Amino acid sequence: MFSTDAADIREGLVQADPRLSRFDPLPRILCLDDFDRGHCGWSQLMGNYEGSLDTILPGYRNITNPMLSTLSHWDSGSHGAMDGTYALKIATRPKKDAVSVAIKRLTFRKAGPVRLEFYATFKPEATDLALSDRDLKSIGLVLDLQVGDRHGAGGERVMPHLRYLNSAEGKLHQKWQFKRRRPQVREIGNNGETVSHFHLADEGWEDLEDGAQKLCYNEIATKVNWHYFRFDFDIESMRALRFQCNDRAFDMAGFDSIRLPAMKNLWCMLNICLFAETAADKRAFLYVDSVCLSGML
Amino acid sequence: MLRESVTYVINRQETWKGQCATEPVEAGWATEAIFFVRGMEEAGGDLPQIRAQVSPDGMRWVDEGAAIPIPQKRDAIEFLRVRHFGNWLRLKADLPEGATCSLLVSVHLK
Repeated sequence: MFSTDAADIREGLVQADPRLSRFDPLPRILCLDDFDRGHCGWSQLMGNYEGSLDTILPGYRNITNPMLSTLSHWDSGSHGAMDGTYALKIATRPKKDAVSVAIKRLTFRKAGPVRLEFYATFKPEATDLALSDRDLKSIGLVLDLQVGDRHGAGGERVMPHLRYLNSAEGKLHQKWQFKRRRPQVREIGNNGETVSHFHLADEGWEDLEDGAQKLCYNEIATKVNWHYFRFDFDIESMRALRFQCNDRAFDMAGFDSIRLPAMKNLWCMLNICLFAETAADKRAFLYVDSVCLSGML
Repeated sequence: MLRESVTYVINRQETWKGQCATEPVEAGWATEAIFFVRGMEEAGGDLPQIRAQVSPDGMRWVDEGAAIPIPQKRDAIEFLRVRHFGNWLRLKADLPEGATCSLLVSVHLK
């Protein structure tokens, strides 16, 4: 018996499409980024400045451009992406504690639930003939959101942060963390028009409830396995709804975001950031095969 | 399919002294690259050439052959073209004692 129900037909169409069936999108697909089609609007996160680039806060200076990568390895050649040839590579500098961030900048047209899904993997640079599993500190995601301009009093800029703390100071941690502590907002330049804050510093992170998780690092530095990530966030209530990595969905009751008073030029902002952080004087890589951002109508 | 084209800014806000290089550029998808090197302030000392390098793995580097002067004046621009570079590219300069420069380096790939 064939169903004529619209929801069943939609689900059937999604599941029959190899580009989509690996995702569970909400009804409106806002973007489906497959890096075999190019950079898809993912770019380098640039710090704010005024008058001179020297006014950029120090944490932003390490950030590099995301690049299209075949995951090429010195010992075994190109690994390739999960699907096709290219993944988006987010690379840190070879400097302990350096962070690198790729960003996609959007706005929203309805303050409702959004779902960010992506397939990714991570690895330190294979400079040593060693497992090197303690050399990558973390990978993570940030949404950067702000209410619309008619929100009224109490409107906020809200920045949910999640990271997988793999290792720090030579010790494996392998757990998910979030950040709600607001960083110091600094004036940039002398015109009173620009402010900045470095929200990805290695401070203020808190453990997610029952957030320990061992991922598939594999057995040498040049073998990688793709992982599934999903983060659901409601822009209307500005609350996290769900976070999932592979087979684990985490309790978000104790989760909160960095919250700031709404800023004068960020209305309806919907930015997505993905980042990597190194624990050694060695590059750390986050490779992203594909991203699906979806929402309600 | 429209041809892919991208600009990366691969050096900014760094003062170069001694052995210096940009971060690696992975661009196996591209067939041509042009680097622009802009002086951000007056460079000092005995300035060497800045050289294109290629690599089999993004870790071990050899000179490609193309080279340009380091721009000495603020806002002076030099450029360098490279083709058939495989998967990896970067720029390298070995500044002698007393030489220093601050450069904005971009690479444009397609």
